[in-house]
Amino acid sequence: MQPVYVILPVFNEGAVLGATIEQLLICQYTIVLVDDGSTEDILSLIKGLPVYYLRHRFNMGQGAAIQTGISFALRNGAETFVTFDADGQHDATDIGKMIKHLDQTKADIVFGSRFMSVTPSHISFLRKFVLQFARLLNYFFSGILLSDAHNGLRVFNRRAASSFNILENRMAHATEMLILVKKNKLRYEEFPVHISYTRYSKKKGQKLAQGFKVLQDIILYKLFK
Amino acid sequence: MISVIQILLIAGVLLLAVYSYRLFRSSYLDAILIILFLVTGVFFIFFPDTTTKVAHLLGVGRGADMIFYLSILFFAFLILKLYAKVRKLQQEVTTLVRKESIDKAIATDEKKSN
Repeated sequence: MQPVYVILPVFNEGAVLGATIEQLLICQYTIVLVDDGSTEDILSLIKGLPVYYLRHRFNMGQGAAIQTGISFALRNGAETFVTFDADGQHDATDIGKMIKHLDQTKADIVFGSRFMSVTPSHISFLRKFVLQFARLLNYFFSGILLSDAHNGLRVFNRRAASSFNILENRMAHATEMLILVKKNKLRYEEFPVHISYTRYSKKKGQKLAQGFKVLQDIILYKLFK
Repeated sequence: MISVIQILLIAGVLLLAVYSYRLFRSSYLDAILIILFLVTGVFFIFFPDTTTKVAHLLGVGRGADMIFYLSILFFAFLILKLYAKVRKLQQEVTTLVRKESIDKAIATDEKKSN
């Protein structure tokens, strides 16, 4: 089996990081952990685990961390790339199914969607509303309408990875990726994934106010790219 | 008779001129530009009615209004310029931080050192 590079952006997620890495290692994935300037000592937490560890000197944001991971995996000759949130909300067993779907449909990128799932994850009304709004905004800015707006689980091939040059350091990278998919005429698919809303991931999850910050970033991105 | 606001404004313009000269004393051209701004500023502060004449030419009622409109335009332009600069700098910093992190990547099991 060709190595699958899982890019794991980490910012002070020490509390749940071990469990996340463990479930990825069980599936024998190659992990590229990008420590985005955490103040916690992440390196000592993963001592002994077979992981590539990259550290940003400063906290640059999740978008920057993902791009660093992509660049590193590209340099290592990776063919299959995965982005995965470190906070424990994703299920590593979804990755295998998504890779299969990527191969079968000959798509360049497969986006995880929590709303296509047969057993929908429990989502609060407000979060659902915000995500609906976000997906329409994404459509407005990128021309791509997905069923889920900000899902951190994506699987893509080398062609997609080489066409990503994410400039949005913070959270607007999710929209920027869609814009790049459209611009580079990549074939995309969606695939149902499971999201677990633990108390931890809820606490770390995005608040409404941050949503407006994302919107502001997207508009500025459009203006200044 | 010179009013308090005129004194304040002239002091401000002088300070600005000195400060910007200290910042950019790179060429004679800069110095000439700064002096030009200084002279026009002081002139309009001493003879505020002249701005009204210019305003009338542009179809604005009062000189103060014209200055107000022009400054809004000027500052909006300036903010955009600065923002573009900040973004560019941030991207450069990101590129550097990224390069450093990739160059210093560690394989923690030390089996597949990079």
